[in-house]
Amino acid sequence: MPKRRNDSPTLGRRNFLKGAGLVGAAALTPAAAQAQAVAPKANLKAAVPGPAQLAADTHAPTRESVTQSSSGGDFMVDVFKSLDIDYLAMNCASSFRGLHEAVINHGKNKKPEILTCPHEEIAVHMGQGYAKIAGKPLAMICHGVVGLQHATMAMYNAWCDRVPVIVFGGNIVEADKRAPGAEWVHSAIDPGAIVRDFVKWDDQPTSLQHFAESFVRAYKIAVTPPMGPVFISLDAELQENPIRDAETLRIPKLATVIPPQADSGSIAELARMLVAAENPVIICDRLARTPAGMTRLIELAETLQCAVVDNAGRMNFPSRHPLNQSFRRGQLIGQADVILAIEMNELWGSLNAFSDRIVRTNRPITKKDAKIVTLGTRDLYQKSNYQDFGRYQEVDHAIAGDGEASLPALTEAVKRLVDAGRKSALEARGKRFAAARLAMIEQAKSDATLGWDSSPITTGRLCAEVWAQIKDEDWSLVGNGIRITWPHRLWKFDKPYQWNGGSGGAGVGYNTPASLGAALANKQHGRLTLNFNGDGDMMFVPSTLWTAAHHRIPMLYIVHNNRAYHQEVMYLQAMANRRGRGIDDVKIGTTITDPNVDYATVARGFGVYGEGPITDPKDLGPALKRAIAVVKRGEPALIDVVTDPR
Amino acid sequence: MTRVALLFAAAALTAGFGIPARAQDTPPGDAAAGKRIYLTTGCHYCHGSAGQGGAYNSVAPSLAKTAMPFVGFKFQLRTPGGDMPAYVEAVMPDQQVADIYAFLQALPGRREAKDIPILND
Repeated sequence: MPKRRNDSPTLGRRNFLKGAGLVGAAALTPAAAQAQAVAPKANLKAAVPGPAQLAADTHAPTRESVTQSSSGGDFMVDVFKSLDIDYLAMNCASSFRGLHEAVINHGKNKKPEILTCPHEEIAVHMGQGYAKIAGKPLAMICHGVVGLQHATMAMYNAWCDRVPVIVFGGNIVEADKRAPGAEWVHSAIDPGAIVRDFVKWDDQPTSLQHFAESFVRAYKIAVTPPMGPVFISLDAELQENPIRDAETLRIPKLATVIPPQADSGSIAELARMLVAAENPVIICDRLARTPAGMTRLIELAETLQCAVVDNAGRMNFPSRHPLNQSFRRGQLIGQADVILAIEMNELWGSLNAFSDRIVRTNRPITKKDAKIVTLGTRDLYQKSNYQDFGRYQEVDHAIAGDGEASLPALTEAVKRLVDAGRKSALEARGKRFAAARLAMIEQAKSDATLGWDSSPITTGRLCAEVWAQIKDEDWSLVGNGIRITWPHRLWKFDKPYQWNGGSGGAGVGYNTPASLGAALANKQHGRLTLNFNGDGDMMFVPSTLWTAAHHRIPMLYIVHNNRAYHQEVMYLQAMANRRGRGIDDVKIGTTITDPNVDYATVARGFGVYGEGPITDPKDLGPALKRAIAVVKRGEPALIDVVTDPR
Repeated sequence: MTRVALLFAAAALTAGFGIPARAQDTPPGDAAAGKRIYLTTGCHYCHGSAGQGGAYNSVAPSLAKTAMPFVGFKFQLRTPGGDMPAYVEAVMPDQQVADIYAFLQALPGRREAKDIPILND
């Protein structure tokens, strides 16, 4: 990436008049200069020096300062430290060299510590994965123009996933400060314009005090539910130049917003509805905001002995809990008389069937008289351009309030309404769910035996083999292939960090870097972090593996290598069959073959332990053992498994 | 879920419980040819190379040793429920359907999970 010219003039405001004066003086003398140039040699005699020449010859020359004892970047680092920002992910760029140097030398590369990322999409996605495990944001910084354009898709994923990431972009605001060339094409008058539709807030501070207040405000906004990314454009001059107003600078105090609890009257009414219902269903998506979220949902569900359908946007509910009925969702939603939807983003999609045919049709799967209640913060903040809010779902009550914060009051209200007779009925209902859950687990195990010895390896066998290796470890699954449900069918998820949801925006290229960000957050806890990484996803930013190796982040990548962008293979198949043309050519443009990618070799090239391609299921267990040993030593590892498509 | 999709799903569920397809309704098919057709016409994209099932826009049921009668199986191919692509006769003649059906019946199918140690945690 082009760097700023280090020989370019960087006149500050204080030098403007002096510079203008010099230019003016030169402008007044061309005739004299020309006259001197054409003057005959005979006239070249030493003249008696005038006062100006005398002064120039006898006084030390006036020079621009070439060093400085303070810098705006140092103050910026102090603000980072005040906010306890652990990491600053970046791909280095000249428009933030002032801050970059300050982080290293003033901040000693601690809080924040720089994460070197070969692509801005990696940096943002690492922040997304990190925040969902760490419970706090990291920051990334990029060129405010070209780097930000690289970062945008990841920012959109974070936006859709309601995850805070603090994004900075370097910029050179004042036109007369930009060197010719790259600094012009890398500057903008409004860099935030391209991301404004999918960040919660953005700003371009014009002073250091402004920066401090904007950064603290941005942090506060980002972590207030519904959470989301924010963007701050950083003027290079502000980062690089000396601090001029040190005595008045101060870092504002951060007081994060306490997530709002739902209205007490609404909670009481909701509790009454839930207790009176014969078939209530709780459906949730991004409910668990902190480790407390899962515990709170368990308490509510067990008090009601009602079914929970977990859309798994977060680690909301234990996978093997008797009330986890996620894999019976269609049946239970269809029978429900009360549906409580907590922190759902696109509820319509869960309550309606949709047919992807020539004429696209849909119908509700709920009973006509089912009462639908939403609880969450989603309604409190929406934007219009990007359609991530989904289709409008009619509901009977929409209760504003943070789901996790509101659950204790709701549970207490429910408890007050459950008398002995009702409790007995609820327990009987719970036993039916428990039996159904056990049957589902047995069914899953039976289903996993299908094609057990096949090659390509079935995803069921793959997940069973991985579970066998990790079940006695302190593990954390932080990424999964598209529509691979095996882990949640077979594995026992019961800790808040054992799952952290998906990409949010379904922007491919999330899994590889976001999983690494999650692994970074898990590192200090010594957890075994792993993912199932689609090969198509890994092809977007495989250089993430270099970041994993460089920063010694322990992470097990298991490449779900079906050698295709497989969902698209199936879409093409659907199109071709709709038109009666057969599917012989649907591999064109959808598959990743000829040549097949050797991900283990790719990994080794980036300094990561790699094994594969593994095609025989019998080789899986030993390969996983070896890779897990590497990860437990504190290093990343990759296993490339050639799998069936789904 | 549409009527046909329900039929397909129900068949998939019963497949594991050993309800046999009605042999008298099933035309003869060549399992080896059926395997080739199954893998070249994209059945495995959603239903798995071993007929183990998978997913498209929603769950694609397992087909190994399917208990669905041949007539129902062919009906589903020609006029599928759910989002499954339609395989019209011009694309997949009746004989190929029969061959695929024979292949599915010849697949190993389920094993007892209790016989596989790592499935007994």
